[in-house]
Amino acid sequence: MMQQQCRRDGGRAEARPPTLPSAPGSFVSPHPTVGRQLLKLVPTVQRGPGLWALFLNPLPCCRPLCYEQSERRLHKSLQMKMEEMSLSGLDNSKLEAIAQEIYADLVEDSCLGFCFEVHRAVKCGYFFLDDTDPDSMKDFEIVDQPGLDIFGQVFNQWKSKECVCPNCSRSIAASRFAPHLEKCLGMGRNSSRIANRRIANSNNMNKSESDQEDNDDINDNDWSYGSEKKAKKRKSDKNPNSPRRSKSLKHKNGFSVCTSASNTLPLLFSSSGELSNSDPFKYNNSTGISYETLGPEELRSLLTTQCGVISEHTKKMCTRSLRCPQHTDEQRRAVRIYFLGPSAVLPEVESSLDNDSFDMTDSQALISRLQWDGSSDLSPSDSGSSKTSENQGWGLGTNSSESRKTKKKKSHLSLVGTASGLGSNKKKKPKPPAPPTPSIYDDIN
Amino acid sequence: MVVSKMNKDAQMRAAINQKLIETGERELLKELLRAKLIECGWKDQLKAHCKEVIKEKVLEHVTVDDLVPEITPKGRALVPESVKKELLQRIRTFLAQHASL
Repeated sequence: MMQQQCRRDGGRAEARPPTLPSAPGSFVSPHPTVGRQLLKLVPTVQRGPGLWALFLNPLPCCRPLCYEQSERRLHKSLQMKMEEMSLSGLDNSKLEAIAQEIYADLVEDSCLGFCFEVHRAVKCGYFFLDDTDPDSMKDFEIVDQPGLDIFGQVFNQWKSKECVCPNCSRSIAASRFAPHLEKCLGMGRNSSRIANRRIANSNNMNKSESDQEDNDDINDNDWSYGSEKKAKKRKSDKNPNSPRRSKSLKHKNGFSVCTSASNTLPLLFSSSGELSNSDPFKYNNSTGISYETLGPEELRSLLTTQCGVISEHTKKMCTRSLRCPQHTDEQRRAVRIYFLGPSAVLPEVESSLDNDSFDMTDSQALISRLQWDGSSDLSPSDSGSSKTSENQGWGLGTNSSESRKTKKKKSHLSLVGTASGLGSNKKKKPKPPAPPTPSIYDDIN
Repeated sequence: MVVSKMNKDAQMRAAINQKLIETGERELLKELLRAKLIECGWKDQLKAHCKEVIKEKVLEHVTVDDLVPEITPKGRALVPESVKKELLQRIRTFLAQHASL
């Protein structure tokens, strides 16, 4: 305390807190002198009213003799401060200089910090660890060319590449290679699912050769248009596990089969292929039966199990079941009469087990069959005038019992002519024109 | 009077510095500067320079004192202009806010 004399500038010099030295690293030590000055203030607490100023600007002087002087100094310092503040507000260049100084301090701090890090790394021995021999350095140098990544690889190089499958020796696109391999090798979830389904279907097939119902779905070989066949066959390769498949399979109903046939076809095709292989009948293109090559016995047996209606387009017999919705019973009867003579009877008459496909009652079916005969006067190629032919067919049917012997050609042709009409009608309405028959009769008669 | 002016400046600087530390702005600025320097590659450049220096020195034990005069001026020079501008901007903002105590 004795050392501290009331000096004009001395006090101020001491009072001014010194600038912090640039601390290395991020460690900031607390102000060293502030604490000391605060401590010095303690004994001055007991002093006079000017003490509040001491906290603002701690003065070393605390002797009672210097009280007035300290007050004067206090006032001056306050004034100075006010001036300083106003100065700082106005003096932009000074502010700028200060800013630059602060910036320089910060940068120097960072550099020093970096130096310490490097020094420590050198001392600990890990500074030069990432340096290898110049050859390796060149190998793994960062590549900075357009179109290449930093390793020097071309982007999207593997998109268009083709790989050769080791199993089937086919060249497959790279992006499709993995799924193909999965199927090719028979490993993976999907391929086992497909296999299981195929096995299940083949079992069903073997069971249901005598079961007419299943043949509806399976033996749908009688497609008129070849392109349709191809298109549907291609579809079979696409999604064997799509849920639509399983849904459509449930539709054993004859009508819905027509609409969902595209979905069920792949299985049908595969199974029909199997059928054709195992079947003793002679098949051409595994789509239908060419009746020219069949003997009478074979024909008979075939006609007892299958629809057998000859398609106008392909001249082949329909291999669907006896309840095939594409052809009417009349057509089937006509075919049987054509092949086996007038005494041929539709097997359906004998085995009237289930009426899933048609909503016609048995009585109505009988009526329609009876009325069908003798449509020899019709022009068969008129599919547009199916209704008229139909009506006439019904009309002429009054003489059914007598004119059972119909001419082969005409019956065959008229079969086709009305088949489309009837078939299309059947697709729309479950009940073919059985109800309106009495009225038609009346009109014609 | 010159002395007093010097004192005034020094005092002002001191006050500002104190304010910087008290509000924690100095630490913030330091971290910001460090992050920016790493981002812009300043650290890697300086590291490469360090390696050269140390290899040249070929001393058994490199001391901090050896490194500092080599590295610090290069470090100051290597700071990119954008980083410098941004930092100065922040300091000026701080000064504008806190100059009127």
